[in-house]
Amino acid sequence: MADPAKLELLNRSGDAGGFEIVQIDSLHAYSAYKPRRLPESDWEVTPQPKSADGTRQFVLRNLRQDSYVLLNAGEYFLWNYFDGRHSLEEIGRAFYVAFGAFDYLLIRQLLGKLYGCGLLESKRLLDFQLNRGAMRDSRWTTRLRWNWMKWCALSLRVPHADRVCSLIYQRGGFLLFHPFTFWLSAAAAVCALALALRFGQNASSFAYFLKARPWLISGVMLATLISASILHVLVHALACKAHGRRVRELGFFLLQGIVPTFYADVTDIFMSSRRARVIVDLAGPMVEVVLGSIAIVAAQAVSAGLGQALLFGVGLALWESALLNLYPFNFLEMDGYNILADLTAMPMLRQQALALIPHLPERLLNFKSLARAEWLQLAYLALCLTSVVIYVIVHIDALRALIHFS
Amino acid sequence: MQLVSEFLRNVSFCQDLNEAARSKLAELLISKKISAGAVIFREFDDSDCLYIVKSGRIIISKHVQDQVDIVLTRFHTGDFFGEMGLFDTSPRSATAQTETDSVLLRLDRKAFQQVFSDEPEIAARICYRLVTVFIERLRATNDQAREAIRWGLEATGFSPEPQRSPFGRRST
Repeated sequence: MADPAKLELLNRSGDAGGFEIVQIDSLHAYSAYKPRRLPESDWEVTPQPKSADGTRQFVLRNLRQDSYVLLNAGEYFLWNYFDGRHSLEEIGRAFYVAFGAFDYLLIRQLLGKLYGCGLLESKRLLDFQLNRGAMRDSRWTTRLRWNWMKWCALSLRVPHADRVCSLIYQRGGFLLFHPFTFWLSAAAAVCALALALRFGQNASSFAYFLKARPWLISGVMLATLISASILHVLVHALACKAHGRRVRELGFFLLQGIVPTFYADVTDIFMSSRRARVIVDLAGPMVEVVLGSIAIVAAQAVSAGLGQALLFGVGLALWESALLNLYPFNFLEMDGYNILADLTAMPMLRQQALALIPHLPERLLNFKSLARAEWLQLAYLALCLTSVVIYVIVHIDALRALIHFS
Repeated sequence: MQLVSEFLRNVSFCQDLNEAARSKLAELLISKKISAGAVIFREFDDSDCLYIVKSGRIIISKHVQDQVDIVLTRFHTGDFFGEMGLFDTSPRSATAQTETDSVLLRLDRKAFQQVFSDEPEIAARICYRLVTVFIERLRATNDQAREAIRWGLEATGFSPEPQRSPFGRRST
């Protein structure tokens, strides 16, 4: 953020010619300003569980725009005072009494965040701010950042996602969340696991069949994984509907700007409980587990040959896909990461951990002053880095083996 | 007079003048010592001359309210101000006041008009330089206006960076 704008004033004293020069920056003007939030009917707030360091965060939802903002305890305190009756000077004083310190920059950042989400009464300012987003800057760094943001925002969306999901849920989707379905799936998974262990003894013959038809196998695998991926996000969305929350979007995008994938925007689940969030997170990978189990059980039913090998291979690939999805330490915000973020009550864990990197040497030198949340962020970074290194090493070995084989 | 002529070498609007022209101009300048804090001219005073700062520091301000002015700029040795007074008869647009003890060289409008009629070539060179200075000052004024608007926007809590809330969950 740029330095606050400054005005230089010449203040004349009563004596002839006497004056003093005073510099005031824009932060001083806050004192009399009385920010006013939207009427209470236009927003809702949900306290989140206490995080590892004992602090609580709050998710604020703008019902007019369907936008969300995450507030820490201090910001939530300020939000409660943004009623149009308290000046920022009064709010600052109250904040100081409650927290023991206060910086006007905190208010400035919060106001920016709230304006961005349209949660404060100031339409004209908001319009201006949105229009500014389209401005072109000649500096290459800004242009690069802008292009990267545009690239990350590329997506294909299903129109009226919430209505589509509601219909699917009402017309049978709700059965997926019946306890009977759960126990049936668990039984299928146990059976499949036992069968997979038995099939393991035939691994070499399966490999022989699979190697014989590489194009067919690759095509079937790809089609299965894509279909499973579509079902996976649909079940996430249905789980969200099962908890009575809204599905904002359903579509296809580049995860973290890198991995092309299907997605369901279930941000509204933050207005529900932590248990509900974990269920939504788990519901997706369950699709791969169940489909994988069905494939392995089906492999038992067919006679030995290409069909059996193919079904077994597909089953294993689906299980592996579920495992990868549930693994939290890969720098990507997949289901495992979401579960981790929910369990630690740190919904911005990845972003906070990445933001810690530039300050890492300085923070590690004073490691005694590290807060509990920062230790968690460090552990997350370390585990992600280790996992990525191991993944690369394993795949280099696999690549070598493949080259050697060919 | 020789010293003043030498000094004029460093004054931007005299940079295209040769030695002889500078000497002629130096003869027209009136030197004036002013102590710190003294007002040279006030906003809305009659305007009939230009000042060159020979030494010291001058502060230019414009009245805002009561006893408060907004500082527009400062002039240092070799700078000049009040040039609008050479060309039109409108009142002064701002107040000039010394911030430190200063020595000024004054060029009256009448004397300048005399240069125009007697030495058109010198006058043309001066005018050309003056125009470039006007352009620079116009740009500075634009920057100042932008800064004042930024100040006002920030005072309302507006952030110049478009802030998108990074918060959300896309299950994949």
